[in-house]
Amino acid sequence: MKKKNAIMGMAFFGPALVLLTVFLFLPMLLTFGFSFTDYFALNPELTHFVGLENYIDIFKDELFVQSFVNTVKFVIIIVPLQCGGALLLALAINKAAHCKKYFKVAFFVPVVMSLAVVSTLWMQIYSPEGILNTLLNQIGIDTQPFIHSASQALPSIAIMSVWQGVGYQMIIFLGGLQNINPALYEAAEMDHASAWQKFKDITLPELKPLCVFVFITVTIGAFRMLVQPMVMTGGGPDHSTYTIVYDIYETGTVNWEMGLASTMAIVFTVFVVVLTIIQNVLTKDREGRKHVNKKAKAN
Amino acid sequence: MSFIEFKNVCKKYPGSDKNTVENLNLEIEEKEFIAFVGPSGCGKSTTLRMVAGFEEITGGELYIEGKKVNEVAPRDRGIAMVFQNYALYPHMTVEKNIGYGLKNMKLPADEIKKKVDWAIQILGLEEYRYRKPKNLSGGQRQRVALGRAIVKNQKVFLMDEPLSNLDAKLRVSMRTEISKLHRELGATTIYVTHDQVEAMTMADRIVIMKEGVIQQVGRPMELYDHPKNQFVAGFIGSPQMNFFDVTVENGTVHFSDGNTLPLSEATIKKLNGHQGEMILGIRGEDLKVDAQNMELNKDSHQHAVITDTEVMGNENNLYFEFGGSQAVARVSKYEISQVGDQIDFVFMPSKLHFFDKETGVNYMEEV
Amino acid sequence: MLTKKQKRINWILVAVLLVLSIFFLFPVIWMLANSFKPDAQITADMNTVAAFIPPALNGNFFENYVSIITDTNFLRYMGNTLLYAAILIVLSIIVNGLAGYALAKIDFPFRDQWLLLIVMLLIVPTETVITIHFLFIAKAGLLNTVVGYILPLIVNPFNIYLFRQVFVSLPDDVYEAAQLDYCGPVKYFFTMVLPMSKTVVATVSVFTFLNVWNDYLWPSLVFTSSDLLTAQIGLNSIASNENTTMGQTLAVITLVTIPVIIIYSLFSKQIVEGVTSTGSKEG
Repeated sequence: MKKKNAIMGMAFFGPALVLLTVFLFLPMLLTFGFSFTDYFALNPELTHFVGLENYIDIFKDELFVQSFVNTVKFVIIIVPLQCGGALLLALAINKAAHCKKYFKVAFFVPVVMSLAVVSTLWMQIYSPEGILNTLLNQIGIDTQPFIHSASQALPSIAIMSVWQGVGYQMIIFLGGLQNINPALYEAAEMDHASAWQKFKDITLPELKPLCVFVFITVTIGAFRMLVQPMVMTGGGPDHSTYTIVYDIYETGTVNWEMGLASTMAIVFTVFVVVLTIIQNVLTKDREGRKHVNKKAKAN
Repeated sequence: MSFIEFKNVCKKYPGSDKNTVENLNLEIEEKEFIAFVGPSGCGKSTTLRMVAGFEEITGGELYIEGKKVNEVAPRDRGIAMVFQNYALYPHMTVEKNIGYGLKNMKLPADEIKKKVDWAIQILGLEEYRYRKPKNLSGGQRQRVALGRAIVKNQKVFLMDEPLSNLDAKLRVSMRTEISKLHRELGATTIYVTHDQVEAMTMADRIVIMKEGVIQQVGRPMELYDHPKNQFVAGFIGSPQMNFFDVTVENGTVHFSDGNTLPLSEATIKKLNGHQGEMILGIRGEDLKVDAQNMELNKDSHQHAVITDTEVMGNENNLYFEFGGSQAVARVSKYEISQVGDQIDFVFMPSKLHFFDKETGVNYMEEV
Repeated sequence: MLTKKQKRINWILVAVLLVLSIFFLFPVIWMLANSFKPDAQITADMNTVAAFIPPALNGNFFENYVSIITDTNFLRYMGNTLLYAAILIVLSIIVNGLAGYALAKIDFPFRDQWLLLIVMLLIVPTETVITIHFLFIAKAGLLNTVVGYILPLIVNPFNIYLFRQVFVSLPDDVYEAAQLDYCGPVKYFFTMVLPMSKTVVATVSVFTFLNVWNDYLWPSLVFTSSDLLTAQIGLNSIASNENTTMGQTLAVITLVTIPVIIIYSLFSKQIVEGVTSTGSKEG
C-alpha cells in the first residue's frame, strides 16, 4: 500500500514537479549562480566567475542607482495614497446607507482594466492637448507637461497607478470591515463610546492585520513597477521613470547581460522576501490573538 | 468452510506501540448478519475497514470465500459498503449515484437501468430519482447509500455505523428496513455500531470488542443471559446491569453495607469453590418486588429507600442505594413507588452473576 | 434605525462619495464617450461637457470600432488571447490540480516537505526568473511560438496551494465508496474531485484568464512580431502606430476591456471572495 501511494503520489505530483524544476527551481539557482559571473548570453563561452564584483558594480552603475531611487520614489508616493485612500473609501462606503453597490463598482472599475489599457488611456488624458489639461486650463491653470517632463512624469504615473489599484485594496478592507462582529459595536454603544472611540478602539485594532497585509502588498506592488513606464514613457524622460524591474528586464533580455541582470534580480528578490517576512512577523501574533478570542468566547 | 475467516488478524498503526486490533479470530457463515459492537476506539471500525481493504492488515490472514484477501484491492473483494456519513457523490442524482458502480463495471445500459429501477423501487426512492444528495433528508440519503450497495449484487455487505446520523425515530424504522433487506437479499453482512440496541435487534450473532480484543461472540440472548465477563454484562442491556462489591463466604454474600444474601445450592455449586472478594451482578428486571417472588424468597428480603424513579409507561425504573452502590430495579407499571418510599425486594437466585474482581471473568459461565 | 443626526451625516457622506466617484470615473467615461467620435470632434468637444457625452447615434457611430476590426489584426489578437487562456486554464487545472490533490490526499514520500517548498515559492516574485525563462525559451528555439509562451505559465505554486487547501477537506469516504464502485484514482480526480470542487476550479479559471488577458511583459518578450500577438501587445502596437487616431486608440482599449468586464460581471462573487480571502488568509 505504501509503495502504491508513492507511485500514485509521484504520478500526480510529477508533472507539476517537472515544470516547477525547469521554470522555478532551476531558474532561481541559475539566477543566483549567474549573479557571480559576467555571463553574456550571446557569448556564453567567455563566462568568468567574478565573485561579488557585480554586486559592487551595480551600485556604482548610475543607471541602476537611478532606477533604484525612482522605484523608492514610486513606493513613497503610491503606498500612503493607495493604502490610505483604500481605507478611507472602505470606511465611507461601509458607513453609507445608500448606493453602496454603485460605489463598490465605481471605485473597482479601474482594477478591471489592464495596466496596458490604463497606461494607454492616461497617455491620452495626460497629453498636452488632452482632456486633463483642457480642464485645468478652464479653471485657470497653465498647461502641464505631465509625462513629458522629467520632473512630473514619475508622480503622474504614480497617481495613475493609485487610481488603477486603489479599488482592489478597498474591497479587501470592506471585507475586513464586514467581518467585524457587530456585537462589539453594540457593546461599545452600551458603554457610551463615541463614534471616534468606536473607530479607535474597535475598527482600527480589528483591521490592523489587514492594514499590515495591504501595506506590504501595495509596497511590493509598487516595487515591481514596470508596465506603466514601459508603455507610457519608455523609462524617460531622462530615465526619470526607469525602475529596477525595467532595468533587470532590459539588461537581461535586450542587452543579454545575464550576469548583471541576475545580480539585480537577486537584490530585488531579497527586498521582496524581506518585506514578506516582515509582514509575516508583524501579523504572526494574530493567530495567537484569534486563539485567545476563541477561548474567551468558549468561556 | 466459513464464508469470512479471520486468522490472528492484527492491526498496528505506524507510530503506535499497541495493536489497535489484537489477534482477532472469527468465522462468519454465509448469509449471516453479524454485528460488531463496543465503545469507540475498540477497533470495530478498523476491523471492518480491514475487511473492506481500506486498512492494511499488519498481521494474520483474512479469507473471504476461502481466498486470502490480505493483498487484494477493495474493489476486487466482492464487497459493498454503507458508510457512516453516506459518502454519496454530491454532484450526481440519486439514480446516477446508485448506478455509478454498474456503469464502471461496463454493464449494458438497459441492465443498469433495470437494476437501478429495482433498487429505487425497493427503497421507495421513486420521487427522488432525479434529486441530488443535498436536496435529500438524512433518511433518504441513507436509502441511497443502501441502494448503491445492494445494486451491485455483492456477497458481502459492510455497514459502518450507518444509522448513527439519523434521529431516534428514523433509526428504529431503518433498523427494521435493513433487517428486511438482509432477509430478502441474503448477503453476508458485517454491521458495526456502538449502539447495543441495534446489535441486539438486528444481528444473528454479536461480536463485542474492547481495546482491540474480542470479549465474546454469540447470539443476542446468549450475550444477555450468559455474559462471559463483566464488560459484556455491563455493555449489553439498558439500564446497565447492577454491580455490587461483595465478599462471598460459606455460601453467603456479604455486601459492603452489612446486608447479606444466602446463596442457593445450585449457585454455590456453580461458583465452584470461588470465595472472597468479587463482584455480584444482577439485571434490574431480576430484582423483584412482586408478591409471588417475595413469597418464593421470603428468607432473603432486602430493604432500601427509593432515591429516584424513571417512569417509562410500560415499566418503571426505581433507583436506590444498596450494598454500597446505586442500584436499579425494573418493575412493571403496577408496582410504582415514590421517591422516599421504602421498598422490599429480592434477588432472583438463578440470575446472579459473579465476576472476578481483577479479570472480570464471570465465574458462573466458566464451564 | 438611524437617528436624525446620523441621517444628516449619511446624506453628506453619500453626496461626497457620489462627487468623488464621478471624478474617479471621468477617465473611463471620457474613454467610452470618445471612442465613438472622429478625432476632429474629440478635439472640438474637449472644452465642453460634450467631452463626456457620446455622439448622436448615426451611421458613423461605430466608425472607430469598424476600422479597428477591418484594418488591423486586432480581432485576431483577441482570438489568440482567448485561445491561450483556454489552453492554459485546462492545463493549469490538470497540472496544478493533480499536484494539489497529491499534496492533500496521497501519502507519498516527502509530501510535507514538498508542501513547505511550495509555500516558500509563493514569496518569490516572478520578475526574478523571467529573464531566465526568456533565455530558456530562446535557447530552445521557441520564441514566437505558442508552446514557448505557454510552457512557463502552466505551473503556479499559488494555484497548487489553493487546490491543496480545498481538496484537503474533501471527505475520504467518498473516495472509498468510489473505489468500491470500480473508479480508479485518475478517473476519481476528473469525475469526482473536480466536480465536487467547482468553486476553486472556477476561481483558478477566472484568475488564469485574467492573468493571461492582462499580462504584458511575458508576451511582449516571447512574441516579437507575428500573428501570434496577445491583445495587450497588439493594443500597444496599434496605439503606438502613428496612423492610429485617438478615437481608434480609445476604441481598441475599450475592446480589450470588454471581455474582462464580462468575466467580472459573471464571476463577481468568486472574484470578490478571492480578493477578500487573500486579505484574510495571508493577513
